[in-house]
Amino acid sequence: MTEESPERKGGLGGLLDRQLEPSRVRAWRTLFFLALLVAALLNLVVKNEHPHFGLDKYPFFWPAFGLVVGVVMVFIVKKVIQPLIKRPEDYYGDL
Amino acid sequence: MTSNFLHPSLAFLMLAAVLPFLPGSRRWRALLVIPPLVAIWAAFTNQPGDYMAISWLGQGLALAHLDPLSGIFCQVFAVMGLAGILFSLHVEDKGQHVAALLYVAGGFGCVLAGDFITLFACWELMSIGSTFLVMLNRTRESVLASFRYFLYHTVGGLFLLAGILLRYKATGSFEVGPIVPSQANPYDWLILAGFCVNAAVVPLHAWLPDAYPRGTVTGSVFMCAYTTKTAVYVLARCFPAWEILAIAGTVMAVYGVLYASMENNARRILSYHIVSQVGYMVAGIGVGTAMTINGASAHAYAHILYKGLLFMGAGAVLYSAGTAKLDELGGLAARIPWVMVCYMVAALSISGMPIFNGFVSKNMTIQGAAEAHQTLVALGLEIAAVGTFVSVGLKLPYFAFWGGKRTDWKRELKPIPVNMYFGMGLLAILCVLQGVFPQILYRYLPYQEAVSGFHPWAPWNVLQASMLLGFSGLAFYLMRNVITPHKALNLDFDWFYRLIGRILYTVVSRPAAFVDDIWTNVWNWLGLGSLMGTARGTVLFDRKVIDGIVDGSAHGVRGVGYLSAILQNGRLQSYLGLLTILALGIFAFFWYGL
Repeated sequence: MTEESPERKGGLGGLLDRQLEPSRVRAWRTLFFLALLVAALLNLVVKNEHPHFGLDKYPFFWPAFGLVVGVVMVFIVKKVIQPLIKRPEDYYGDL
Repeated sequence: MTSNFLHPSLAFLMLAAVLPFLPGSRRWRALLVIPPLVAIWAAFTNQPGDYMAISWLGQGLALAHLDPLSGIFCQVFAVMGLAGILFSLHVEDKGQHVAALLYVAGGFGCVLAGDFITLFACWELMSIGSTFLVMLNRTRESVLASFRYFLYHTVGGLFLLAGILLRYKATGSFEVGPIVPSQANPYDWLILAGFCVNAAVVPLHAWLPDAYPRGTVTGSVFMCAYTTKTAVYVLARCFPAWEILAIAGTVMAVYGVLYASMENNARRILSYHIVSQVGYMVAGIGVGTAMTINGASAHAYAHILYKGLLFMGAGAVLYSAGTAKLDELGGLAARIPWVMVCYMVAALSISGMPIFNGFVSKNMTIQGAAEAHQTLVALGLEIAAVGTFVSVGLKLPYFAFWGGKRTDWKRELKPIPVNMYFGMGLLAILCVLQGVFPQILYRYLPYQEAVSGFHPWAPWNVLQASMLLGFSGLAFYLMRNVITPHKALNLDFDWFYRLIGRILYTVVSRPAAFVDDIWTNVWNWLGLGSLMGTARGTVLFDRKVIDGIVDGSAHGVRGVGYLSAILQNGRLQSYLGLLTILALGIFAFFWYGL
């Protein structure tokens, strides 16, 4: 796969390249937020008939769970755990 | 061999035996697809039963015990064998192919083994094959990693062997079968420990993220499928409903995603994620209901397909771009678009997104655990699901293929062989097919009576997965600058194992060095002194006796030569005179002497 200019690039590669235009990126982001909104609103209609954890009987539990667990996990891993256990790449002299 | 049974490892072993002797550099590669095709045929046509019973050293061995549990593992091993071999067809190194063939053959041998002796032999065959799949990457770090890998697995194998032998001594049987937790003996725990090493149960997992990122591009694709899943199979076979496994599996599921979120090397992220995904299976086995054992089996099947595809995608990036480090990648989506598409199919599968096969397998275990009132297990697995999507579903592809950059048109990329696309394409199609038509997978699950109780495509399941993953995606979007990977080594339990290794090395080498010092002194005083005395005597003997004889001979020869030179003067009268003297001498000798 040699170097190709963006103008000549067709097919899937060209299609993907064009999605990186700032306007397209904004459009995709808007679409993503809209999809999240639709999913969350659907939760008012489609409900969990067999909750297992208590709080999951309430609507919006799973959106909140995904968001909070995701943010907290990334924060703890990158800001708390990794600074403690991070070493230079060749710490063991294997490279 | 019984006429209606074909052992799926047979063609693999036969090709491994003859491959080194086949001539030519390319034509033999067409033969590589035969063993997996034979294995697929065998996996779909063999009927349940006991086959290939032999007697060895007075022991009855059952080389093949086929039932629904071993059957589903055989089937996915065969399919993955075909995909892995398609992916590796361009490799010219016969050694890598032989190692892979032996390794896969060992995997089949383990899941079909009806006795512990057969199981142990195949277990070790896998260990040796996979060691070479790491070593044959032929870099310094790969060779070092392969030795560590072999040491880990040798120790695990010794646990297993000790347990097997002690068990035989106590029970008089090598039969592989379920062990009741309440009746467990110490030897059962040894067997469990041996299995847990290969299942990468935390904290015995350190070999996996150490070795798999350092294997060959194609070798790691094989390894990610067989070692841990063989261990999952034997755990399901021997240790169902062991509660400790439910706890261990949940810890694995969360632990793996935490490290996957930290790491920079794509193949190490995937390696840590194997720990997490195998955690789901181990937890399912630990909960031990029909639904969770089904879930573990289904997840093993789905996992082999999408994890193989993930390693293929990351391997293709490594092959093409020359690195798998995320901080050095980015802007590649438009350059290698089909690699990205195949990777994303696997990434969405592993995340449990509807339409993809992880969705129909993962939730079976989680729901099964929840219905068995193992709420904490189910909650841990849901937390791991979020971490999975954040780390493997978003972080890895985002930084490898996009990274917030425009397309990197300047980067030199090595062309990806078409056979690699065939391997990836096959697995991608299967991931989607199983997701859309779950019955393709469910019909082979070991407990068919429990299958009807689970409906993956129920509206709530689809919405729950969509919300969970969608908002996990939002978390990634918000935290994308925090999770940005950097070059670093993150300490793990291998720090302890390396320490143990150094201590053992010291314990062995220091006393050995001490004894060696003393022996050197003793040798200097006694051995060396007597040796020197003997040497001096030998020198004297050589000089005075041997040299004397040799020197005397030399003098004699020289004298004779000198005399001959004088006598050979070319004058006829001199020769006649000498002949006369000689004749008189002979006459005198006979006259007076006799």
